[in-house]
Amino acid sequence: MLTIKDLIVKVENKQILNGLNLNVRPGEVHAIMGPNGSGKSTLSHVLAGREGYEVIEGRVLLNGENLLELTPEQRAHKGVFLAMQYPVELPGVNNMIFMRESINAIRRARNEDALDAIEFLQQVREKAKLLQLDEKLLKRNVNVGFSGGEKKRNEILQMAMLEPQLAILDETDSGLDIDALRIIAQGVNSLRDPERAIILVTHYQRLLEYIQPDFVHVLVNGRIVRSGDKALALELEQKGYNWIIEEDAA
Amino acid sequence: MTTAQQRQQQQRDWFQQLLTRSDVSPDSNMAWLYRLRDDAKRAIKTLPTLGSKQEAWRYNRVNDIFDINFDSSSDFDNDIIEPDINDYLLPAFDSYRLVFINGHCATKLSDIKQLPEGVTLGSVKAGLRSMPEKMIHWFDRNHQHNEYMFTALNNALFNDGVYLHLDRSVHLDRPVEVIYLNNNHSQSAQYAGSMIQTRTIISLDVGASATLVERFINGSGTGNNETYFYNNVSEISLADDAELNHCRVQDESRQAYHLSSLYVTQKKHSAYHSSNLAFGGAWARTEYKVDFRAEAAICDLNGLYAVDNQQLIDFHLDVQHRAESCRSREHFKGILYGKGRAVFDGRILVDKQAQFSDAALINDNLLLVADAEIDTKPQLEIYADNVKCSHGTTVGKLDQQQMFYLRSRGIAENEARKILCQGYAAEIIDDIALPELQKHVAEKLMHALNKNDPGAGGHDGY
Repeated sequence: MLTIKDLIVKVENKQILNGLNLNVRPGEVHAIMGPNGSGKSTLSHVLAGREGYEVIEGRVLLNGENLLELTPEQRAHKGVFLAMQYPVELPGVNNMIFMRESINAIRRARNEDALDAIEFLQQVREKAKLLQLDEKLLKRNVNVGFSGGEKKRNEILQMAMLEPQLAILDETDSGLDIDALRIIAQGVNSLRDPERAIILVTHYQRLLEYIQPDFVHVLVNGRIVRSGDKALALELEQKGYNWIIEEDAA
Repeated sequence: MTTAQQRQQQQRDWFQQLLTRSDVSPDSNMAWLYRLRDDAKRAIKTLPTLGSKQEAWRYNRVNDIFDINFDSSSDFDNDIIEPDINDYLLPAFDSYRLVFINGHCATKLSDIKQLPEGVTLGSVKAGLRSMPEKMIHWFDRNHQHNEYMFTALNNALFNDGVYLHLDRSVHLDRPVEVIYLNNNHSQSAQYAGSMIQTRTIISLDVGASATLVERFINGSGTGNNETYFYNNVSEISLADDAELNHCRVQDESRQAYHLSSLYVTQKKHSAYHSSNLAFGGAWARTEYKVDFRAEAAICDLNGLYAVDNQQLIDFHLDVQHRAESCRSREHFKGILYGKGRAVFDGRILVDKQAQFSDAALINDNLLLVADAEIDTKPQLEIYADNVKCSHGTTVGKLDQQQMFYLRSRGIAENEARKILCQGYAAEIIDDIALPELQKHVAEKLMHALNKNDPGAGGHDGY
């Protein structure tokens, strides 16, 4: 589904990704772990199409199509979703209306009919309940005055509503207490699907106790230096990142 | 003569020509009105001319207006151009309605039947005829503001307008809506446009309350290139505990000049709340003078302006705290979506005796194109020592993180921009007292943003 080949990316003239390779097939959950500054967020942002990232070399294909040529909205239309590390506040923009605009923009782009208002309302309520997100927050402005945990749950709610093909969760676990983490993991697990791929970008192994990845990759200095299964995450948890960084340097 | 002198002379000639051409009746049977007009005419001859050297006109191309010959006669037949008023009504909006066509009350289009007891509402022209004694009272004779050129011009030549008076403790059950349909009605080819002047006189007695909606509309129905100069003076006086909700929607022709001068005087515990929405005009200026004359009065001035190519929208606020414990709030937001200009000049004066004043002024501006200009000038003058006053202004572009957030959710760039602009304006729109009007204004903003989509080319968008 997603193929990243020899990806080199610069941010403000500093090379952050240094020839990254990754293959993700439908139904798989990949965890990308790495120390601070290893390029985790850069990878998330490049995949979602954020401005300010200069691709020097390499390819990113989604179902054979060059993702890098597409605008952020076109990527969303193709099924890419990024749950942001720092969800943005949108003053004056109603959360419910925002989600409906988003769903319908994607449906329009796919030549599908707009979602019926009642059906939308039912879905959003049902999914908010699963994420234990207070219904009042649906009527508020997007993320304005939300707690850190509420913002993250609101991201997962959007993901549940948009049903993406490729979901990238950028440090969704950061700043969450254990209860919030469990709820979010539950929400993500409910979205696991043979047709859907999920990339979990995280610093800590903690999230992976609740969402079992099929693959774990370690990102160091902008490259994946080691890949494995869940056991690798546990090893990192015990030994930290330094041994891998040292091995990589050697 | 130097160029500056020539300009001054041109300006004096401009005013003189308007005075001469006007066919406003001399009102010789009403001595006070005759005197009012006469004083005003004399003031116009002797007042210093207006220009960019004066602080209040520094950022405004006032001279543009003196380059245009306006026809100040009212030489037209109201009935002939009577429009279909349904084209201009808000859906399901229940109001006492007055309609003015080029400054003259169109009785047939108005509907002020079944006014509750204690409410006097009507056209100034009719009122002067039917109840001149009352009109004398309502005209604030001590403050004719002949020190200001354009107000003096209105004093000298106003022909019609609105008066609204509420007796003690009367609460008006429905809003009063005044629709001003303006266009160039000059019959003479030698004039580039016409001059339209109205007077608004609002007085609420002790404990009375009302909602007033004024809509200034390009009434040509055909296009946006009608040239006219609309000059309105409003006098609003609120007695103790009186409350007025005032909403003004300005959407004049893009070739028109609009000037509104509002003089608000407030007594003890009175409350004035206004929403000022500005969309139209080549040059549209609103001036507020708010005078707290007794303690514990409240004044909220809110506004939203949307500025397109070749437009200048200008707000001048002057709130004077002269009594103790009054509260004033000014919150104005601008969206500059074309190569135009906005001016915001907000002054709050807190006099020595006005202890415990509470004043806050905010002006925010959103620039959607690179070549728009905003001149914003908050001024706090504080002479009392126990007060709470603050001010803040911002000028910015759309937030790129917000844009990315919306786009990453599948929303196209131009739609994302509109959503953010609507969100930005919501703070002001949500504060409008009437839901029907909130909707109307939100639609107007959407229309403006749709028409001028920087993503669709034409502008240098950010």
